[in-house]
This record gives sequence, structure tokens and C-alpha cells, in this order.
Amino acid sequence: MAATTAVALSAALALTACGGSSSGSAQGAAPGKPTVTSLTLGALQDVTSWDPAQAGVGNALQPYQIAYDSLLLREPDGKLSPMLATAWKYNDTKTVLTVDLRTDVTFSDGAKFDAEAAKANIDHFKKANGPQMSQLASVSEAKVVDADTVELGLKAPDPALEYYLSQAAGLMGSPKALETEAIKTESVGSGPYVMDKASTVKNSQAVFNAREGYWNKDLQKFSKVSYKVLTDITARTNALVSGQVDAAILDPKTGKQAEGARMKLESNQVDWQGLILFDRDGTKNPALKDVRVRQAINYAFDRKTILDQVLLGQGTPTSQPFGKDSGAWLDELENRYPYDPAKAKALLKEAGYESGVVLDVPLVPAFETQINVLKQQLADVGISLNAVGWSGPSFPSDVAAQKYTSMYFSLFQGEPWVAINQLASTRAFYNPFKNTTPELQAKIDAVQKGGGDSAKLAQEVNRYVVEEAWFAPLFRINQMYYHNDKVNVTPQIQQAVPSIYNYSPAK
Amino acid sequence: MIPFILKRLGSGVIVLVTVSALTFFLLHASSGSIARNILGDQATPEQVALKEAQLGLDQPVIVRYGTWIADTLRGDLGSSWFTSEPVAASLSTRIPVTMVMVFTAMILIAIMATLVGVAAAVKRGWVDRTVQVGAVIGDSIPGFVIGIFLVTAVAIQLQIFPATSTISPGAGADAWVLSLTLPVVALLINGVTGGAQQIRSAVIKQLERDYVRTLRSRGIGEKEILFKHVLRSAAPAGLTVLSLQLVNMLGGVVILESIFALPGMGPLAVTATAQNDQPVVMGVVMYTVAVVIVVNLLVDLANGWLNPKVRAS
Repeated sequence: MAATTAVALSAALALTACGGSSSGSAQGAAPGKPTVTSLTLGALQDVTSWDPAQAGVGNALQPYQIAYDSLLLREPDGKLSPMLATAWKYNDTKTVLTVDLRTDVTFSDGAKFDAEAAKANIDHFKKANGPQMSQLASVSEAKVVDADTVELGLKAPDPALEYYLSQAAGLMGSPKALETEAIKTESVGSGPYVMDKASTVKNSQAVFNAREGYWNKDLQKFSKVSYKVLTDITARTNALVSGQVDAAILDPKTGKQAEGARMKLESNQVDWQGLILFDRDGTKNPALKDVRVRQAINYAFDRKTILDQVLLGQGTPTSQPFGKDSGAWLDELENRYPYDPAKAKALLKEAGYESGVVLDVPLVPAFETQINVLKQQLADVGISLNAVGWSGPSFPSDVAAQKYTSMYFSLFQGEPWVAINQLASTRAFYNPFKNTTPELQAKIDAVQKGGGDSAKLAQEVNRYVVEEAWFAPLFRINQMYYHNDKVNVTPQIQQAVPSIYNYSPAK
Repeated sequence: MIPFILKRLGSGVIVLVTVSALTFFLLHASSGSIARNILGDQATPEQVALKEAQLGLDQPVIVRYGTWIADTLRGDLGSSWFTSEPVAASLSTRIPVTMVMVFTAMILIAIMATLVGVAAAVKRGWVDRTVQVGAVIGDSIPGFVIGIFLVTAVAIQLQIFPATSTISPGAGADAWVLSLTLPVVALLINGVTGGAQQIRSAVIKQLERDYVRTLRSRGIGEKEILFKHVLRSAAPAGLTVLSLQLVNMLGGVVILESIFALPGMGPLAVTATAQNDQPVVMGVVMYTVAVVIVVNLLVDLANGWLNPKVRAS
């Protein structure tokens, strides 16, 4: 049976290779081909474009890894390893990163990977206006030193640059294809798999076949990888339970059904949920200017009970916005604000808000239950939570336009410098009122210039925003990633959805 | 007949243009900063401005609508703002899925509803009562509930059909049959009960008319009366019900396609509307309006063919 499948599959592969591209048609069934297995992933959404410069983070990065190699490879534990780059080194001022490159890699259209190609990708990424364009904001230029060396010149030190080169900014596409229209709908990378355009339907599924002669057989564990878009969580659960997909991300409620069908859970914590108190200078809501009011809000929540009720206990209560794996996490901040309504009331009284505080949050549909629970607990200490309208997909522009003084949300806990630029710096999206103090700015500057110590220095930023109660974090939530017994999956640190390299056939 | 068709087509075009203008301006009014939404929360203000210029959003809405009309007349529906895929291409892969599902369901509903409806009208008694009760139950259970039940019972427990679609561009007929059976059954359960009820009433009404008595008094057989005269006169009512059901069905299909992850028009419409993906929403709206216009035209033509009085009016 297995042999028949193997023959059928390799025949299919050879046929696709002949019909698809000119390269590799002669070596259809070469010995040492990858184990004959296929992997089907259930995904939340399709990519916006197969242009690598339009790649996202987390689950929006995974599909690109099927077709594109990146300069650095991020291991499941977060360590950075060589991939298309063999070595990389900063100068003393941390303003020039010299990157050595592989010389034996070609793209699926036959173009060669070299320093020129790397430069073309960096330049393209910087001007393609993709969602992660800020990943290369600190890079002023990419310079070709020789065929296998490229130098990145930085405007200012960027402790996250190496991390970014393992993410969207590090994905390398064929220089011949980068500026074309075609790359938007068909990937052209040097990665382990090549798109089967004929079987691919936008927003429904993308199909990839193993690439003949791929330079790193260790990363190419399947003969075929399909990426099935299942936006609806019920459909995703049904597809997983009935064996149509091998792995998918679910939630605590649908997870019960998957567990009933003996699916395996790989759970890790990637996001925190809670209130972001945007208006710390009291521009629109004067009460929020007082740190005692912000702390009172933090003391008002019985985090454990909310977690048990709303997310069936899938998470860990916390008072800090930085993640456990980030290096900025501090044990002593974990329970900095225990449930203490009496203390909350006392703080409000001290601040002169005994008669009450009104807090407006947008009614984000995904968090309606949470907001209702919060409303009740805040009312107990004399704070009225007012859920106002939600404008759906235009929320990024509304946040940027300072429409909300606070909001309940789920936020990514990334690398410290990434998290700082998401939450705390004056250019952070989730700091729309651009609040800062000289003290905080000094701590942030220290992280930026900290080099290898930057994660440790970020602990001070964490301590500052927790003591100043910039947020009211409630818990880190468990990401519920399920898979069947045909594949092994290793969870990836700080990612809800593992990197493509973390899957392997079970046998 | 030809002037009739031309007149209907003319009014169809007017409806299309009106709906397109209304949709375009409403989308514009609710679009907020679409560029920021496309780029996400990491984008800088400069990036947002650049994106707006790329999408032509820095131009007045009237100019943009004019451009859209001109492009559409040339057969260019533009590309999705979020997925870069040409709208015409996404419609062309998705329309067949939805249409095969809807028309299969329609044909089966027409046949089954007529059989059941006529049986109820002629036999009355317990057959009639069963149909009446069935209609109430069929009407009160939403299609998506039936869909979820079918997935759980037939696809996951019994593993007879796939839980989600296996249709891909190169898929064979078996994939289409396997993927569409459960959604079509869900549509049928809703459609047949409602349709049968309407046809039953129409047939009963005809059976009580004077001409039936006259025909009977002339000694013409019941079968001939039923199939040659009564059904013909009852047909317009039945056809109208069916055309209304089809329009309703286009709504129900959206949810069923999501449950079964079918690559049809439904999920495309939902995603595009939620994201305010203007080129795609415009394409979906134009397609839906066109289907409704064509179906109504076909129903009118069929009515005219069955009943000459309609043609004259």
C-alpha cells in the first residue's frame, strides 16, 4: 500500500515538475528524494501577496517559509541559526552588520542567490510598503562587499535586527521576480517547496511540492505541503477532527472537541490580554493621568476567576506586559497587582476620584465576554466601564487617531525591542498619545544601545510600565495548536503557529 | 416577445448602474483609513500616505467611481486591495462552486417540491397534514443548523462525506459531488418544504376553480385535468416562489459555504465586506445583482411561455 502511494506520488511529482518549470524535469525521480509524505495545514487566513516583502509575523509568516528561505533561521527556542547567511557580525558601534552568505543556492526560477540578490531583496523590502516595513526602518543601506558578503548600514543600533532577519525582512525572493506583478500570486523563492499554481486558489488553498535539489534536505521533510485556508473556526475544527488537515490552531472551546478526537495539543503562551490605558497624560480622560487611578484599575481585577470563566483556565494570570521568554520578564512583577478591591477604592479616594471614574473602551466583538466581566468588577470599586462602538477593520486608524483612551485587546509578546516599539516607545502603535517621560526614554535608549544586554536592560522598561500602570494586563493566554498523530510538531517560542521547519512526519 | 426581453434587459442595466453607484459611495463613506488597515498596526504615517496614493484614494470619490465604471466597461474589475488577486480571476474560480450548488439545489427543489405539493393537494388527508407539518419544521430550522448537524453526523461521525471542501481547480467530478452533497441537502431540506407548501396552495386554488368543474363535467380524466390544465395554471405561482427562494438561497449559501469551507462566493463576500475591500465587494455585488436580474427574467419568460395571458400584459 505504502509503496503504491509512493510510486503514485513520485509520478505526480515528476509530472508537476515537467509541466511546471524547465528546471529539474530531467531528474524527476532522483534517488534520495524526500520521504513520501504530505503535510496539510489549516490556516486562519491566506497571504495578502506572495511577494516576500508583504509577509507578516506569526501565522502570517508561516506560509512564506514554505517557499522562501530567510537569511537567519529562528530555532524553536528562539536561538538564531545560519540559513542563507552563514555568519553575521556587528562592528563595535553596532551600526554595521556584516553578513556572509551561502554560495550554493538558486531560486526556483533559476536565478542565483548572492550578495546582489540579498541587496535587491533588502532594497525591495524597504520600498515595497509591506506591513512589516518597519523591520528594516533602522537600515539605511545594503552594500555588496563581494559575491558572498553583504553589509547592512544602520542609522542607529537596532537590537532586534538579527531577529528581523529571521522574519519577514529576512525572506529572500528571486531578484528577477521581485518587481513583477506575477510574484503577487505565485511565489518565487529558494525555499524547500515550490508552488503548484494550478492547484492553488486564493483564499482557499495553496499547494506546494518539494523542490528538487534543495540545498538543505534537513529542512525539506515532506514531498508536498498544502496550506488550506479555514477562516471559520468550526470549519477548521471539523477539518482537523475529520483528518482533512494535519494541524490547526483552535481555541479553548473548540479544543475540547479536538481532544475528544484524540488530537495532540502543543500549547505555548504568545499573547497577553488586558486593558491598555492609552491616555496616561489625561489628554481626553483626566482621571487616567493619575497613576493611583491606573493602579486602582489593576487592583480591581480577580484575574484568576476571569481566566477560568472566560478562557476555561487556559492561561496564566499576570500583571506585566512582557513575555516570559523575552528576557524582560520579571518574576516579582507577575503578581504585582493582586485582587484587592479595598485597596483600589482607597487609591481612588486618595486620588480624589471617590465619586467615580468613567472608562471608555471600544466593544471589540472578540472580547465582548471579557469586557462584560471587567465592567462588573470595575463597578465594584466605583469605576464605570463604558463599552463604546467598534468600527471593525478600521480600528488601526481609530487607535492611531486617538479615538480610544483605553481598550481591551490581545497583544503579542515579542522580543523585548519589538515589544518596546509596539507598546512603550513614542513610535509604538499601542502608544497613540505618544506618552513618555525622560526616565522611561533613558531606559529605552539603554536597551537600544545595550547589544547583548538589551533583553536584561528591557527589564527596567518592564518595571517602569508596570509600576506606572500603563496597562492592566490580566493574563498570558495559551495558544491551542492541535495536530494529529501523523505529524510531529514542535511549538515555536513567541509564535502561536509554529515555523514550517518544526513539522516532521511522525514515522 | 423580443421587445419584452429588451425592455427587461434595459431596466436590468439601470438597476445595475444604480446599485453600483450606491454601493461605491456607501463603501467610500465607511472606508475610514483603508490604507492603515491594509498595512496593519506597524505602519508609519508616511507608509499610510504612500499606500493611499498607490490605491488612488487621494482622488475625489466621483473621479474614482468614473474610473471604476470605465475599467469595468473594458472588462477590468481591478484587483483586491488585500490579496492583490484580480477580481475577475477570483470570481471566475468561485462563481462555478456557488452556481453548481445553487442550481443543483434549485432543480431538485423544483422537482421534489412539485411532486410533494401536488400529492398533498390531490390526496389531502394525512399526506397533506404531513406536508404542512414538514413545512413548519423546515421553515423554522435555519439552513446553517442543518448544515452543522450534517457535518457532525454524516461527515465526522459516519465519515461518508468530507467535513470541508475538497474542490480545487484540478479536482475531478468526485470531489465536486462529495463536497457539494451535504450543503445541497441542507439547502433542499429548507427549500422543498417551503416550496411544496406554496405549490400545494396554488394547486388547491386551481382545483376549486370553475373550469376544473367544467372539464370534469365533460368527462375529462383527472390525470389530464391535473397535468394539462391545473399544473399549467398553478405554475406561475410556483415559479415565483422558486425565484424568491433562489434569492433567499444566495443568502443562506454564504453561511453554508463558511461551514463547509467551500471556495464559493460566500466567504469571498464576507471577507471582502468585513475588510472593506472595495474592488472585490463591487465585483461580488455586481455579480449578485446580475444573477437576480437574470433569474427574474428567466422566470418571466417561463411564465410567458406557460401562460399566454402573461405575455399579453
